[in-house]
Amino acid sequence: MKVRNTSKLRTRSILGSTLAGLMVFAVACGGSDSTSTDTGAPSSEAPTETTDAIDDTSTITPGGKLVMAVEADTSSPWRPSEMVCAISCHQVIRSIYDTLMIPGVDNVPVPYLASSVEPNADYTVWRVTARSGVKFHDGTDFDAAAIVDNITRHKSALLTGTAIKDVTDISLDPADPMVAVITVARPWATFPWYLTGQVGYMASPTWLAASDTDEALRAKPVGTGPFVFADYKPQEYFKATKNPTYWNAPYPYLDEVEFIPVADSLKRRDALKAGDVDLIHTTNGEVITEFRAGVDGYSSAEITKNGETAYSLMHVTQEGSPITDSRVRCALANATDNDAVNQAVSFGVNQLANGPFSPDQVGYLEDTGFPMVQDMAKAQELIAAYKAENPGPLRISLATTNDATNLVIANYQKDWFEEAGVDEVTIDQIDQAQYIVTALLGNFQVFQWRNHGGVDLDQQYFWWHSSSSLDVGSLALNFGRIKDTKLDELLDANRASVDPAEKKQIAEDVNRLFGSECYNLWGSYTTWMLANKTAVQGLDAANFITPEGEVALEGAGIAGTFYPHTVWLQQ
Amino acid sequence: MRFFLQRFMQLIIVVFAVTFTVSLALGAIPNAEERIIAAKGSGAINDEEKNKLLDSLNLREPAIVQYGYFVKDFVTFDWGTTFNGNQPISTSVSDGLKISLRLMIYGQLGALLIAIPVALAAAYRSGGVFDRISTTTSFGFISMPNYVLATILGLFFTVRWQWFPAISTDIGFFTSPWQHFRNFFLPTIVLALPLGATYMRLLRADLVNTLQSDFITTARAKGVSTPRILFGHALRPSLFSLVTAAAVNVGALVGGSVVVETAFNLNGLGRRTVLGIFASEFRLVQITVVVLALVYVFINFLTDILYGFLDPRVRAGRKLS
Repeated sequence: MKVRNTSKLRTRSILGSTLAGLMVFAVACGGSDSTSTDTGAPSSEAPTETTDAIDDTSTITPGGKLVMAVEADTSSPWRPSEMVCAISCHQVIRSIYDTLMIPGVDNVPVPYLASSVEPNADYTVWRVTARSGVKFHDGTDFDAAAIVDNITRHKSALLTGTAIKDVTDISLDPADPMVAVITVARPWATFPWYLTGQVGYMASPTWLAASDTDEALRAKPVGTGPFVFADYKPQEYFKATKNPTYWNAPYPYLDEVEFIPVADSLKRRDALKAGDVDLIHTTNGEVITEFRAGVDGYSSAEITKNGETAYSLMHVTQEGSPITDSRVRCALANATDNDAVNQAVSFGVNQLANGPFSPDQVGYLEDTGFPMVQDMAKAQELIAAYKAENPGPLRISLATTNDATNLVIANYQKDWFEEAGVDEVTIDQIDQAQYIVTALLGNFQVFQWRNHGGVDLDQQYFWWHSSSSLDVGSLALNFGRIKDTKLDELLDANRASVDPAEKKQIAEDVNRLFGSECYNLWGSYTTWMLANKTAVQGLDAANFITPEGEVALEGAGIAGTFYPHTVWLQQ
Repeated sequence: MRFFLQRFMQLIIVVFAVTFTVSLALGAIPNAEERIIAAKGSGAINDEEKNKLLDSLNLREPAIVQYGYFVKDFVTFDWGTTFNGNQPISTSVSDGLKISLRLMIYGQLGALLIAIPVALAAAYRSGGVFDRISTTTSFGFISMPNYVLATILGLFFTVRWQWFPAISTDIGFFTSPWQHFRNFFLPTIVLALPLGATYMRLLRADLVNTLQSDFITTARAKGVSTPRILFGHALRPSLFSLVTAAAVNVGALVGGSVVVETAFNLNGLGRRTVLGIFASEFRLVQITVVVLALVYVFINFLTDILYGFLDPRVRAGRKLS
């Protein structure tokens, strides 16, 4: 997280923010930064680095209420295995639930609600020990049975179930009621990353059981977190009050938190400047530009790590579709002028993308082979070659949401693609809910999208592996239905590897593969900004320390979020 | 009485048509089952949950049976929970209706408070300076979309001067009268100004005609004071168009204030309906559409009845027919 005045230009998503619903699921399963040297295994060592962002605890003034405007409400709240958890969801529900692990400052997951997470020698069995003495907000004990209950529910859920498909058994250690034993189908060294996100949220089994029959209860979450649920009205607010007996004292500092969903970025900014809220998060280029220039009475910080990539997803295996031909896909890539889009709709704040991995992620390359500059002649040449072998009109359907900005981008793409030689490009505007369903069902050719935040390549496994590529009409997380043997081999090898050098090489190979095959039309990397009243302090994740003294990863592991535990208000 | 029964039967027919259409609309949506499952969330995907959910919506029943269940559920308030929010739909609708009704009442009152005095003043000196200024100004407000007005007022009154919140909160009048005023003032003004301008022009035109009537000339000749002529003699027979427009706008205000609700982040019934459509909240949308339709037809029914009290000529006409 970079506090204001640092003006490193980063990216902003081209997609409407609420579109993120399913897409940021990868982030939900962990996520964070950097040129990582992680093995995925939990750290048991003291932190090797702290930052000067850590507040002097003697100056902290507890109390007060924080009101934050978030970009979206959450669908199917708030049972961990069901909620469709985008950025705002994580921001809100982190106040109620703790995760078993958190991303540590050294780019490795470190235990949090779990006191330890330990693998066997070949990473096929993971022993997760529940931290003793922790109680849920309803007064029941947190133990290994709670871990088993929560993760078992994830196994049968569509989204998280796909993510942990390789988990074959979740059971209690008969010798120790505080230990849950998770068995996986193949060596899975990076499994702990999944415990830092949605799969790692622990809810009260008592409440979960009660909410099985009472649907209204599902919106009243019970966890072990720093705040206790108070009230929730969809599309209006989520309120929580301080958990006075929080197990990781002295957190939290605030007495109350309230989150208000405000979809319009400019309205969020206005609400901040009008004093209605204390804090906002945004990816909007106009707002970022304004706060970069400085606004009296407010400060801001940019989160330049862990962000997603905005891009156009393509269905690459649909029978009869021209998109199955790499010449057509690469022609579309060559025809695209991302810089024009960046200038037109994002105030030029974005960093253009050449692949799924941003500069902070493992696997990033300066040159992936993906065309970064518009080359219309090359695009026309590729289309001509395709047409020579495939006579008849070349038609492409391009899907976007009802968002005006996305339509502008789609219109740019239509013009470019038709100039490249595509006979007809039709733009289909699809409403938000149907948009996600369309992606899941695979009923598209070219599709605007945003995804792929995270640290380890394994967090992208279910988006790209052929095992997640189901037939059109079946709900599948490999939206583009990629079926690439080479890609599968790389993903499987990465899942089993604990060698940083090898993992880096694998991720770079994946990046090159995406560049050469043009599986997606990469757009730009997302930058998130937190803008707040100057009285709001303690937003940096570096202020968040586990009972063992581990420091949380900068950016809180999921771009656009922070830990509410550490926030305090300057009196 | 015959007129009353006639209008009541029309009301029943409209209500039947709306509820029947709405009850069947869900099944007519492409990929309805997949969309419902997706909207409900990942946890409902196993077959047992899926079947339970779809059975509760009666999608696989014949049309007439679906309608029967829909009416039964509607009248018994067994509306279920929202797919996305896990909130009882009855709570969602009542919360939304409360906000929308407030906006409707405040908006209507504000519009009438603006329109009636301005129209009286303008009509009394028809063609005068005030008439020309008010007519021109009203044109401006009529032609200005709500979202433009909301943006302009928001820029000055929320961001620059910080007199009112940029995102309003539904705070009850009795909870905090001042905060209630602060949170509802701008949305009310945004609704009332264009509406008031329309009402003003309608009322002014009717007043100008009325003021040229023989009975007004007679009153003037008898030395009746100007205020008494305007309020006592001219206003009531000139209200016909205004009442009609107000009645039509009542229904439109309840469901049609989406722009204002969205601009100020007020989660009224209109906004809930639109968000529900985008979020595949089919059941919520079904219920809100029926509730809005009922409000609309009921108010128009009352308006038809009210005409007779406003204008004796209508009563006479009904007797003749």
